[in-house]
Amino acid sequence: MPKNEMPSGALVMLILRVLRSGSLHGYAIAQRIHLLSSEVLAVEEGSLYPALQKMLLKGWVTAEWGISETNRKVRFYRLTAAGRRQLETEVESYERVTEAIQTILRTA
Amino acid sequence: MGEFFRRLYYLINRRRFDRELESDMEFHREMAAREGRRNFGNTLRLREQSREAWGWTWIDHLLQDLRYARRILWRSPGFTLTAVLVLAVGIGVNITAFSIFNLMALKPLPVRDPDTLVRLQRRSPEITTSVVPYPSVLFYREHAKTLSTVIAMMGARLNLEDDAQPLKTNFVTANFFSELGVSAARGRLLDPARDEAFDAPQVVVMGYEFWQRRFDADPSVVGRVVRLNRKAVTVIGVAPEGFSSLNDERADLWLPVTQQPYFVDGSTVLTNIKDGSVSMWARLAPGVTAKMAEKELLALTNERRKQFPKDIWDKEYIRSDPAGHMQVIQPEAYQAAAMVGALTLLILAVSCANLGGLMIARGVAREHEIGIRIAIGAGRKRIFRQLFTESLLLALLGSFCGLLLSYVAMRVIFALTDPPKWMNATPDWRVMLFAMSLAFVAALFFGFAPALQIARQRQRKTIARQILVGAQIAASCVLLIVSGLLVHAVLHMLYTDPGFGYEQVLAVDPQLDQHGYTATTARVYIDELKSGLQALPGVTSVAMSRIPLLGEGYTSYMTVGVRGHSINIYPNWVDSSFFKTMGIPLLHGRNILPGETNAVIVSESLARKQWLGEDPVGKPLWPDGPGKDIIVGVAGNARVKALNDGEAVEAYWPAQQSDMPGMTLLIKTEGTPDDFVPRVKAIAKNMDPKLFPSLWLLKSGFRTNTLALERLAMIVSMLGLVAMLIAGVGIVGLVAYTVSQRRKEIAIRIALGARPLHVLSVILQQFLAPVSLGLLAGAALATGISQFLHKILYGVGHLDPAGYAGGIAVLIAIAALAMLLPARRALLVDPARALHEE
Repeated sequence: MPKNEMPSGALVMLILRVLRSGSLHGYAIAQRIHLLSSEVLAVEEGSLYPALQKMLLKGWVTAEWGISETNRKVRFYRLTAAGRRQLETEVESYERVTEAIQTILRTA
Repeated sequence: MGEFFRRLYYLINRRRFDRELESDMEFHREMAAREGRRNFGNTLRLREQSREAWGWTWIDHLLQDLRYARRILWRSPGFTLTAVLVLAVGIGVNITAFSIFNLMALKPLPVRDPDTLVRLQRRSPEITTSVVPYPSVLFYREHAKTLSTVIAMMGARLNLEDDAQPLKTNFVTANFFSELGVSAARGRLLDPARDEAFDAPQVVVMGYEFWQRRFDADPSVVGRVVRLNRKAVTVIGVAPEGFSSLNDERADLWLPVTQQPYFVDGSTVLTNIKDGSVSMWARLAPGVTAKMAEKELLALTNERRKQFPKDIWDKEYIRSDPAGHMQVIQPEAYQAAAMVGALTLLILAVSCANLGGLMIARGVAREHEIGIRIAIGAGRKRIFRQLFTESLLLALLGSFCGLLLSYVAMRVIFALTDPPKWMNATPDWRVMLFAMSLAFVAALFFGFAPALQIARQRQRKTIARQILVGAQIAASCVLLIVSGLLVHAVLHMLYTDPGFGYEQVLAVDPQLDQHGYTATTARVYIDELKSGLQALPGVTSVAMSRIPLLGEGYTSYMTVGVRGHSINIYPNWVDSSFFKTMGIPLLHGRNILPGETNAVIVSESLARKQWLGEDPVGKPLWPDGPGKDIIVGVAGNARVKALNDGEAVEAYWPAQQSDMPGMTLLIKTEGTPDDFVPRVKAIAKNMDPKLFPSLWLLKSGFRTNTLALERLAMIVSMLGLVAMLIAGVGIVGLVAYTVSQRRKEIAIRIALGARPLHVLSVILQQFLAPVSLGLLAGAALATGISQFLHKILYGVGHLDPAGYAGGIAVLIAIAALAMLLPARRALLVDPARALHEE
């Protein structure tokens, strides 16, 4: 299974996106991104947790204790109102940029 | 909750957050392992990377570095002790200087609301005076809206009962105590409602120390009637212990200013519109700045000029200075403070340069350790940070010891100088803050460059060491030369002829002007007193002098442009016996004649400056200026009024009738004048019992004048000595280090037959250039500083060869000694052993 590098800056947006439907723990976030990308994208520990710490600092997510499916006490990350707004702006600007890139690729 | 607060919250709960992160990542691994995926990352490193998002990793590094630094310093106690000691001296001297400045100019007086207090002084472009006429004070008090209160104070000397010593008395406006927010220790203090009126009963408040000293703290003294200047007055109370007043004058008594004429017969202080007599303070109204107040006072002054056109000066204004601390600091005083600060900072510079050299030498000794740390992955930045943290720790330790040293010094100074009771030697927050910032500055100076050099593995380069030696020599050179100049100046002042005789002269000031004497009545009194004194057996001559010499009283001089230079002319109005009495020789021309006008005698120095060696007798004093004064004689130089001013010149006019109310008499006796004091006093008093003449010996005035300079010279010499010692020790260390570093090379040279002198020169060569450059730079800097000092260097020009040569010679001797002592060890190197060791 080839592991593809995550485009820089996209990780935060993807985390925000997968958390929109409900709170998840760290491993589940990585799993979800991996599965939803049809196993194209892999999120490593070394980038996932720094990103989560940064998001905690920015106030986009909060962490609360919960019980994992393996019955272990673990922290679940939940999107905040500020995180939701951040997701919207990031998606919006991402779409604008990709559209522009696509246009160039099609016409140039 | 903003991002900043989340960051802080994280810092406070750092341990919990770290545990949570750890648990998260552990869980992640468990799950990954369950699905058969393995991760080989370094968990610690990953966690550290994640934590970095919060921006607090520098604290971890700092703590780590501090722990490491503590271990390192603890393991080399010799180095640590030397470094802390050198720093403690360098920083301690500066803390002491700052503590004194703090007490004088920064620490608020212990009175209510010191921040709004301002001192108001009368000024014009030509005239500088600290006092204001009392009627003006009343006028400003009534009309100024920017001032919430006006306080006035006037110093005087009054005699209590038959005491020999007159008392320090302050006449104050009745709001004085209530405005400063103090309450009585016994009885009551002055009350504007009861004591302000002219016809109020006469009352006096005693100072606490005076009450203890004179009345043994007897509480029954309150309510008693005492006699001041033979006038009855009721004691109403005692001011609290340690009351600071508004300046550092510690008064024995306080009286309402409105009663001043009651005690001083014939005084016109309360009604004189023209001449200043009281010091004025005020409180700024809420929200008013000093500038706004100055503007309003200027407008009021201009308004008052319309009323009294002759009594207000041209362009007169009122100057305002913050007055909530012990001394009102004028810009000139800031200059002096800056100079002292520069000198003490030089000591710190010597300490830092010294320590810098030690740090580099240590860097060489620690090559091995640092090499290992670099090998296992520490970056230059990290090494630099660690070394600098070590310096910082050292500097903080040194600063703390400096604080202790300065506390001891302050206690000694307090014991020697009798400061006001409300002051104490314990450092306050300003001094602490100063000590802290000085520690950082010092660390930057002695630690930054060496840490950089070592982190870049350049510690073996000699250039850094050479610069440091040069800097030490230069700074010590400045201190030594400046102290040499000062010592020379004081010696000159003490042991050379000042141009006049003071040992056998006694002065008496009957203070006629304070008692309402007119020119005519004063003339009669002065003539009578003069002949009465001349009749005393043992008196050789009696002379008049309008300016009180070497005693309390004012100094006035005129600044005149002569041939493109401005010079200070000290004037006096005297009679014909003045020169004989003061022992000032008449070099040319004749003495002034009784009753003469339009004649003037100039000092030799003025004659030389104005007429460049021509004979000035018969020429007008101001060749193209106003006045018809013709020079009739030239007298020897006698800087009676300006002992410190080497460039001062004098001019003497014949005293006229109008000078009589302010006249003082000088009495020359055959033996010592001390025994004449009571007799002279009795004669002056018997002629008019309402007078309280003041008497002083010229020799004690001269001593007081020289004492301050002596002290200054002593302090500066001590600073110079300290700097020289530190520099000496530093050079010893560096040379010793060089010797040990080049042991092998020396051994080879000796084995090949080098002579001892050659071996020494090889070692010392590298120090020759920095020492000579340092000496040169130091001498140049000292010339700059002495331009400032020049005013207090009596009799010594700012290019005093003896002072310079002395300073440089001493320094060369010390540097040579400091180099040769350790360098000798190079000659003792045993080539066989030294080469065998490697």
